[in-house]
Amino acid sequence: MLFLLAWRNVWRNVKRSTIIIVSIALGLAGGLFAGAVMMGMGESMINSAIDRNLGHLQIHSPAYRRDALVSNYIRSPQKVLSLLDTLGSVKAYSARTLLEGMASSANSSYGVTITGVDPERERETTALVSMLVAGNFLADKYRTQAVIGKKLAERLGLKLKSKIILTFQDRSGEIVYMAARIVGLFKTESTAFDEMTVFVRQKDVTRLLGARKPLIHEIAIRLKNSSTLPATKARLASGFSDLKVEEWREIAPELAFMSTSVESFTYLFVAIIIFALIFGITNTMLMAVMERIHELGILMAVGMKRGRVFIMILMETLLLSFVGGMLGMLIGGAAIAWFNHFGIDLSAFAQGLEGFGSGTILYPYLPGVMYAALTVMIVVAANISALMPAWKAVRLKPAQAVRVY
Amino acid sequence: MALIDVRHITKTYNSTAVPVHALRDVNVHFEKKEFTAIVGPSGSGKTTLLNILGGLDAPTSGEVLIGGQNITGMKESALVEFRLRHIGFVFQAYNLIPVLTAIENVEFIMLLQGVGKKERHERARALLADVGLADRLDSRPSQLSGGQQQRVAVARALASRPRFVLADEPTANLDSESTTSLLDMMEEMNAKYEMTFIFSTHDARVIERAHRVITLEDGRFQEDKQ
Repeated sequence: MLFLLAWRNVWRNVKRSTIIIVSIALGLAGGLFAGAVMMGMGESMINSAIDRNLGHLQIHSPAYRRDALVSNYIRSPQKVLSLLDTLGSVKAYSARTLLEGMASSANSSYGVTITGVDPERERETTALVSMLVAGNFLADKYRTQAVIGKKLAERLGLKLKSKIILTFQDRSGEIVYMAARIVGLFKTESTAFDEMTVFVRQKDVTRLLGARKPLIHEIAIRLKNSSTLPATKARLASGFSDLKVEEWREIAPELAFMSTSVESFTYLFVAIIIFALIFGITNTMLMAVMERIHELGILMAVGMKRGRVFIMILMETLLLSFVGGMLGMLIGGAAIAWFNHFGIDLSAFAQGLEGFGSGTILYPYLPGVMYAALTVMIVVAANISALMPAWKAVRLKPAQAVRVY
Repeated sequence: MALIDVRHITKTYNSTAVPVHALRDVNVHFEKKEFTAIVGPSGSGKTTLLNILGGLDAPTSGEVLIGGQNITGMKESALVEFRLRHIGFVFQAYNLIPVLTAIENVEFIMLLQGVGKKERHERARALLADVGLADRLDSRPSQLSGGQQQRVAVARALASRPRFVLADEPTANLDSESTTSLLDMMEEMNAKYEMTFIFSTHDARVIERAHRVITLEDGRFQEDKQ
């Protein structure tokens, strides 16, 4: 009956309770949605980077990770590739030749990473093909081809079918020039990547490097399911202790930091909103106590212990906060689900977002554990809000309180 | 042994610059089945005496024994329990919890006592029938007249099966008809349950019906008329 009493007390002033419930609900829903947008942006950045070129795992020679020299290639890549062919968790892989060099046109030059790839393997490993805005990906049609970022093309004043001069060092340190025809232009979510990456056929650079077999500096691995990442990594690391097997978090720590900090920021953001709501809830409950002094006096006079009065006020506050909190989660959750399905088109802010490596269509999302954590936060906040009103109520002297009308 | 034994009770309020002597050395006994009115002008100390008898307030000096048990100096938590088990209260007005129905208001006191759901429901129904409200069990206080609300309050006071009922000016907000009706019902309960009723009042209609009238003036015991 105490619960019933508390529940009815919540609704004895419908207007006031509704206002505070709506404010809790909207505050929380807004916080959740903003958090989900931030999480979605972080997720977009990570997925974009994985799709673009990172893959889930990468293998390098430890020396290459220290110093990105052409001579620091993987000595026996075939062993690694053979194992990858047998692993069921691996969807695709691309063994790349990486060369730090210069891209030049008649007008200008720019420092780039020249990535020699097997076009078919690269096509299966990354989503670069889907990011082409002009032309095609590398094929066997022409002798020396290049696919470059649209941004780099603009910077160098080049367009599709233009000739681009690539300069890099061979194994002996000699400067090598490569003239290639631009067959495709890509545009990813990362301006930096678009400006600094040139894709060429591996066999073209192998020839210029004076090697009989491709020099593999990097093996990017795409998994069928990201949940198999730790196991696959462990398998590869144990098989090739002389190589550095890293997951995307290690290769791009800034993305990993972004991922964790976005989550922390979301908690912080919602915590600030809830903190502000505590004052609103406390005010409402204080009003509810102050206008019921006579009634509370009677309850205590007839034998209701102070502890029970305290619990009753606590219960009323909890109910108020719980209804508001659940409503907020429902509204926030529904909004997140809707926009997660249809996306939020932020193309108006494309330039800024691409600077961060994030897509222009955002898909907000919030992990289930966050909803649970927020429920706990609301309950804690409600308890804090209830303290002062409940304390006020139990401090009443029944003999005086019953004479307050 | 007297049901209530008040010995040399003094109550002085020091909240203002000048101490207010609400009660000065009051000695009085109350026996079982009494239907007693404590009367006197405003400020005479009626309500203070009632509050002390009910354990809602503590005397500055003196002691109150109920059934031989000294309640002065009892801890707050023990006093609450004592009130719940042994004393019924009816206040001047707005006695009831507005969000509970008549039957729920009566049941509530038994809930606090830990009476089982079925038993408290049956007892509450019976008590409300006794006070003539068998057809208003599910009415909220706002749907009842002032007189009906006071009847529910009496039913609630009796629900805990107390040793006595204290009523602080129970008819103050009632019209003549409701007052007569409420007093009839209280006398009936007094007879039926052998329940002791102690009123504070300055209502002549109540004084007329009381079996014993104690008069206070300026906090002093003036007269005890049977």
